[in-house]
Amino acid sequence: MHSPNDAVWRRLADKERRELAASWAWLVLLVLLGPLVGHAFITAVESYAEASGSTGGPAALAQGLSPLDGIVVPTFGAYAIAVTLLFPFVAIRLVSSEKQSGSLKLLLQSRAPLGAMLVVKLLVVVGAWLLAWLPGLAALALWRAYGGHLAPAEVSAVLLGHLFRATLTCAFAIAAASLTDNAATAAVVTLALTLGSWALDFIAQVRGGLALALDAYTPESALRVFESGEIRLAIILVTLLLATAAIALALVWLHPGRTWRARAIGTTGIVAAAALAAWLAAHVRASWDVSEDHRNSFAPADERALAAIRDPLRVTVYLAPEDPRLADLERGVLRKLRRTMRDVDVRYVARGSTGLFARPGEHYGEVWYAIGGRDAMSRSTTEPIVLETIYTVAGITPPTPDSATAYSGYPLAARPRGAGMLLYLVWPLVVIAVWWWSRRPRQLPSLTS
Amino acid sequence: MRDGEVLGLVGPNGSGKTTLLECLSGLLAADGGRVVRDARPFAPSERRDALFYMPDGILPWPDQRVAWILDFSAAIQGASREDVAEITRALDLLPLASQRAGTLSKGQRKRVLIALALLTPQPVLLLDEPFDGLDLRQIREVSPLLRRVAAAGRALLLSIHQLHDAARVCDRLVLLSDGRVVGEGTLDELRARAGRPQADVEEVFLALT
Repeated sequence: MHSPNDAVWRRLADKERRELAASWAWLVLLVLLGPLVGHAFITAVESYAEASGSTGGPAALAQGLSPLDGIVVPTFGAYAIAVTLLFPFVAIRLVSSEKQSGSLKLLLQSRAPLGAMLVVKLLVVVGAWLLAWLPGLAALALWRAYGGHLAPAEVSAVLLGHLFRATLTCAFAIAAASLTDNAATAAVVTLALTLGSWALDFIAQVRGGLALALDAYTPESALRVFESGEIRLAIILVTLLLATAAIALALVWLHPGRTWRARAIGTTGIVAAAALAAWLAAHVRASWDVSEDHRNSFAPADERALAAIRDPLRVTVYLAPEDPRLADLERGVLRKLRRTMRDVDVRYVARGSTGLFARPGEHYGEVWYAIGGRDAMSRSTTEPIVLETIYTVAGITPPTPDSATAYSGYPLAARPRGAGMLLYLVWPLVVIAVWWWSRRPRQLPSLTS
Repeated sequence: MRDGEVLGLVGPNGSGKTTLLECLSGLLAADGGRVVRDARPFAPSERRDALFYMPDGILPWPDQRVAWILDFSAAIQGASREDVAEITRALDLLPLASQRAGTLSKGQRKRVLIALALLTPQPVLLLDEPFDGLDLRQIREVSPLLRRVAAAGRALLLSIHQLHDAARVCDRLVLLSDGRVVGEGTLDELRARAGRPQADVEEVFLALT
């Protein structure tokens, strides 16, 4: 096995950078990001201004107004569209064009190992994605210029979510391009994966069970966790494992001289190993709530009291997956309990559907909490009542609330001045100008000694 | 094959020349057969160090300029700047240096491909249709260059469907037809085998296939 020296790594990175610069897909992505981000940002600023009382609405509406939900998430929502519908083509092109032009056959016989080539492709495309953040970051800078508030930790969490999502998309696109004969088929495979994750998202909402467990790690669901200001280690690990597995698949399928049988065995092994590793990683419980309003955490006094409970908490939920009360319970209580307590086991007992013709069982609507042989039932999904039930079952006195001040929010009635000019006009023109400049003949390597 | 030898793989289109070269290089999994080196099996994983295969009809990095392609290939193949300069001069590529590969004519592209093959360090070169697309003058310039490369110690296996080109440049010929070897040896040996001592290479080929 060859080990690439620094010069080979540098040369491969330079090649990918040049190929990226020559890519129409990359140019189109960069140009379109301006209007996409611009529309998202301008709409977000206007909505935020309305919620802040600019149109004379109720003052209570401005209470607890968070720039994370109002500005950062919607502005970077433009990147969720781009990473799904545009970005895969950029990554696919870097593999498919070399396969179709025959360049890959030359590279496979060179000193550069295939693994190094794929890693460099991934790093360069992800690096390019960071460059594509410029319009989004410019929009956030404008928000600050308007006098808006941004919490660096919250913004970092959202950016981290988008980074991991792009890394996974890029790795899947590289794998798809490696498995298929041409870019069009690779694009179909990548979009099919995206549609599959959307379908899983839908099934999880109405069926629950295994689909719900798997759905937690789809790119959309994973991003939602980061967008809520939570950094969950399990999601990071599973995402990185899946990306690694995708690159390993690409390695198996691009490796020259492999029979179909060898590729099938390699693929099966990688899928099995990735599934096992992802299952183990999903059990990692570490997470950090970096939201400014601590929306993913209980009050500090409750957190201390719950963390002190040594016995496992068993929760039995008699609610169908599509029941909105389950969503409230999950978002408002169970997610926080999993972060806080050492051992929380939630069983979703109710199956089937609710509605006009449904016949729910006699326990439907009940949620049972059991600790150390004692249990209690509550039909409430609100945090204070559930916590009170848990304290009763655990046999502990509810803690005295801390005298922490409540999150007051950051209302701001600002107009999106200059955003349209910058993102609709200046950004696309700058991108086109830089692209045109980069295509001009420049100093070439000397071919004379 | 022996060091310094130019071996011609001759046969009509569809006779299996390209498939054989891809199997030899290890880029394509072979259904059967074996490759032997110094009386020992030569595993596909080991062949990358010894064999380099230049496919026909490829257009590597069409958006990049010829000078960059040669420089990049030399860097990842470990060739020196002197090697690049010598090969560029020998194949008259300097006028093409600033052109994008995608804009080259078929013959120009073939010269670039031959240059890329000559920049590699492997002692055995497998060249698929090295004269395809070249005009007569270019063939007459490239043939001696390949002979000089062989004289320097590298072995060349050339897949050629133009029989006269093969006879001009090769030491020995392997005749392929429908995926099978139907003759092997120098042109004189093949003539003797065909029982046509005065025949040209085309008549020999037709007699043996």
